[in-house]
This record gives sequence, structure tokens and C-alpha cells, in this order.
Amino acid sequence: MSSRDLVLMTAPLREDFTIPCHEIGPAGNPAVSFVSGLHGDEINGIYILARLADFLTAVAGGNYPKLRLAQRVLIIPAVNVLGTNTLRRAWPFDQSDQNRMFPGNRMGETTQRIAYSVLEATKKSAYRVDLHSSNLYFEELPQVRLYDPTPEERETAPLFGLPAIMERSVSPVFTTTLMYAWKYWPGQSFLLQVGQAGSIQLPHCQQVFRGLVSFLGRIGVLEGVEVAEADQEALYFTRECSVRIYADRAGMFVSDKSLGGWVSKGQELGYIYDSFNGTVRTRVIAPAAGLLTGIRRQPMLFEGDLLVRICTRTP
Amino acid sequence: MPESAIAISTSCILSLEMPYSEQLCIRRTAYRGGDGPRAAIVAGIHGDELEGLYVCQLLADWLEQLARENPAGLAGTVELYPAMNPLGLDTLTRAIPVFDTDLNRNFPGSPNGDLPKRIAHAAIENLSGAALVVDIHASNIYLREIPQVRINTDFADSLVPLARRLNLDLIWLHGAMTVLEATVAHSLNSVGTPCLVVEMGVGMRITPDYCRQVMSGILTLWKDQGVLTPDVELPPLDHLPLIADDSNVHYLNAPTSGLFVPVIEHWTDVRKGQLLGTIVSPLQGGILSEVRSPVDGILFTLREYPLVYEGSLMARVMARKGRLA
Repeated sequence: MSSRDLVLMTAPLREDFTIPCHEIGPAGNPAVSFVSGLHGDEINGIYILARLADFLTAVAGGNYPKLRLAQRVLIIPAVNVLGTNTLRRAWPFDQSDQNRMFPGNRMGETTQRIAYSVLEATKKSAYRVDLHSSNLYFEELPQVRLYDPTPEERETAPLFGLPAIMERSVSPVFTTTLMYAWKYWPGQSFLLQVGQAGSIQLPHCQQVFRGLVSFLGRIGVLEGVEVAEADQEALYFTRECSVRIYADRAGMFVSDKSLGGWVSKGQELGYIYDSFNGTVRTRVIAPAAGLLTGIRRQPMLFEGDLLVRICTRTP
Repeated sequence: MPESAIAISTSCILSLEMPYSEQLCIRRTAYRGGDGPRAAIVAGIHGDELEGLYVCQLLADWLEQLARENPAGLAGTVELYPAMNPLGLDTLTRAIPVFDTDLNRNFPGSPNGDLPKRIAHAAIENLSGAALVVDIHASNIYLREIPQVRINTDFADSLVPLARRLNLDLIWLHGAMTVLEATVAHSLNSVGTPCLVVEMGVGMRITPDYCRQVMSGILTLWKDQGVLTPDVELPPLDHLPLIADDSNVHYLNAPTSGLFVPVIEHWTDVRKGQLLGTIVSPLQGGILSEVRSPVDGILFTLREYPLVYEGSLMARVMARKGRLA
């Protein structure tokens, strides 16, 4: 396995630490860069990329005779190493969000130095993919997120074979993210949202793993992959297709629904209970028919919290 | 109420149900005198910043005394919002707990979103149209700052003249950084409500001298604006600000990890090459790195929390440009 240290840094009281990455395949600039774990608690992406590294290393080692890695792939399973080891979303030492530190600075704060190294290593790849997992509260159907996409990115997005593609515009709040920094460079950039932070949702991870392998096959980086053309149709959703249900009352939200199913208008999606006396405060009803793409899993609600996102076929 | 009395009231600008039985309320105390302009103080946007809370207390005391001794002295209205992030203050968290989001990256907010968006929206709704808003911050737990005003260069022309009267030691002009568009100050300044951002002291502590210093400046500005009548007696202004911008501020980031031990007092003149502190190793003893000033200037930021990682900011030195205000 070809791995190296992307960042080498001293720590005050324990061993020096590194951010390791995999570089697998023929020499040269990586054609594809995969990044995850900018947030230390987003474990799905870390799991998927670690497993992908294992798989591609086996391919490169000749363990899959029908497969051949035609171009180099860079994989950073976890950027926020300390956060991953301490189950924190932010960079634990100063609580800064590693994904608000881009493009970074070689001589700046610790997280700016890390950001600089991550961007330097990935920016020249033709394809760049950043995997996230929502947060501890909300579960997302595996999806490709496109931010102010180019026509080429729109065309490529279905190659991941995930059930949903969601287009968003870049808000001023996101100008210091890796995604935004990538967009200054030629090439295509994608963000994958997978499940919920804090744990592994295995079916989502398996789906995305298969998706990444198909993607590498379809863009010609991994030769010999049999891509099932009958893969489910990827649905394309603009922001206008997204219907959000917010909590009209505080309390406990409980739902037995799983993501990825179609719901009809008027269908019951869950209940908000009064968490002191147990009465039902609100029956949560689908306001429109569509695909259930996001649902709240942490039950304790403030008034106004996002409960459910449904994507409709037409705006 | 007799004529020329000051009406004092505390009310909720936003009340919201919490998950279990409780209600969250963002509170404001208003002092209403005459029909003159309205001024506001905002504090506690970050739950680990307490300096502004003490400034609110000092101002509230001062206004109570004015109400007793010279109620006609309040020509307008003063509003104090000491705790914009009450849950953060309750739990010693900088961000808004549960939502794990920086309230000062959620402006202008929205009336129907989640808690951070609603607080932001309620704040903007209530603050817009004021003659002057002062948003008081306290650095963070890592760095100690001298009393200063930070101004986005986009609004420098209108805000610098106000900032000069705030009795602080530094006006720091910042380039237009896109991410800061989501702050309360940027949102207010964008809609024509002047908002000054004060940074001073250190997180989770109060520095009473700094608080009294900025209080004098705030009272002076209120008088300038006509919120207070000209006859009201105020503590004197005894500080004149230096002006810093990106061209004369030098950042000293740690070249290695360890324990930073300063050998110099905060807020002093330093010479180029002068030793400011050392980074030492608690494990093996000895000095890992010396921290020296890169220029002749003034030490205006000094690390308060001693543990440093490679890259951690230890100090900021402002080179003297001779631009004394």
C-alpha cells in the first residue's frame, strides 16, 4: 500500500502527528482525489474511503485480475485526525471548523496549515470528491451535492449512481470551504452527503462504495469494472424541488420512516410529543408527494427545527 | 409617571419553546427618556465572552443613577441586550449549544428557521434603525486583546469618525472578508444602521478597567448622537486610538508545539528582535523556540492560554506607522 504523510506536525504533549493519505496507482498527479473527515465525527465517509483504499490497493497489487487502475488516485480518509480520534466534529484544540479554513495558509493557524496542505495535494486532480455525513441530528439519503455547477459537473454527477443529485448555490457563508477553494481550479468538484454523523449506516456506505467504484469505472480510471447500466435512475433536484418541514412546536420527534422511499401528499411521517406529559402535539404530515431525502434522528426539538426534507419531481 | 422620568423595562424580544418544558427568552432592558435617537448595546453573542456583559451592567447602573438624579438627561432611548446567546452563556460554550453554530455567522437570520436563525432575525428586527449599535466581544479564551474597534473597510468612511470617540486604544481596519458578511455588524451596516464591533480582553473573564474605559466612550458617543442631553456630565475620554490595517499588523504563529510562556506584559512597546516569550517543553524541559518581535511596534494581542500547537497565534505586533490619531 502506498501511503504517505500529507501533513507532519508537532504536538505539545504527545507524539508528533500526521495526516496520512493513500496514493494508489501509476505515478503522476492523481486523476481523482477523495477527501473525508474534515469533520471528525462524520464517520461514514471515513469508513467508505478507508475501504476504498483497501480495495484499490488490492487492485493495484493484482488481486483482481480483471481490474486495472489506469490512473493515480489520492485518498485522505480523515483530515481532522485529532477530531476523529476524540469523536469531535471540530478541530478539538481550538474548536475551529476545519472546513471553514480554506484556502488555508502555509504559515497561519494550525487548521489553516492543514487546509493549505489538503488543497495543494488535491487541487490539480481532474475530479475531486469531498464526502460528508450531515451532523449528529439529521440523516441524509446518499446524494451528490453540486454547488453552482459547471455543465461538465452536471453531466458527471449521475456517474456516481446515487439516488439523488441536489443542486445548490454557494452562499457567502461557504466561501472558506474546501469545495469553494477547489472551484478556482480546472477540473470537477463534487460533495457527497452520506447519512448521519456519529455512526455508520452500513446500507448507505455500501451504496456509496459501489457508487464510487462505478464512478471510477465510468471515468476510465478503473478499467474492467462492469457497470450495470440498469443502475437506478439518478434524480436531479434543484433547490426549488426541496420541500422542508419545520417543527411548529418543540418536543420529541419520533418517526419510523426510512430514507429513499416515496411519500404521498398527506402521508403521516411522524409525531411531535410533548416531552413532559407525552401528549401528541403535532402529527407531521407530508405537504407534497416526493422522495424522502432527509430526516431528523435526534428527537429533542426546539421550535423551528428542520424535521424532514422531501424532494419533489417538479419545482 | 412624572414628566421627564425614565421608563425602564425588561422584555423578551424572542420567546421560543425548548425541547423539554422550558421557554427560551432573549431579553432586553430598555431605558426610555425623550423622543431622541435610540442606541443599543449588544453582548454575549458568543457564550464564552463576558466583557460585554459587564459593560451592560456598568451602563445599567449609570442609567439607573441618571434616572434618579437627572432623568431629563436621557433625550432618547437606550437598549441593552447583554445575552444574545443565553444557552451558550449557560453552558460555557462559544457557539449556540445543540446547534453547534456560531450565532455571529447566522445573520441576518430568518423568522421561520431554526433557533440561531430566529435569534439573528429578532436581533436585526429590533436593532435596525438605531442611531448607533455597539456589539461588544471579548476575543476568545486563547488571546488577550487591548480595547479596540474592528471595522470592515467597506464601512470605514462612516464608522471611523464614530470609532475615534469610543475611548479605545486601537482602530483596526479589516479588508472585506466575505465570510464576515454573516455577522450582526455587517448585516446592520449594510442596511444603514451603524454598528461598531468592540474587541477587548479575553474569553471567560472580565477586565474591569477595559470595561470602564469603553463605557466612557459609549456615553460620549451617546451624547454626540443626542441620546443624552449636552448637559449630562460624563467621565473624561483618556484614550486616543492608533490605527492599524493589514499593512502594519504582524502575526506571530507558533513554529512548534509546546507551552508558551510570555516574558513581557501585554500592551507594551516592543523593539525589533526583542524577546516576547518562549515555547518550552513540559516533557523534556528546555526551550523549543524563542518568540521575538519582528518589528518595532506595539504588542496588542498576547496569548492567554499557554498550550500551543504548531501554527497557534501567540501575539500580534502593530508596527508603528506614526499614524497617531
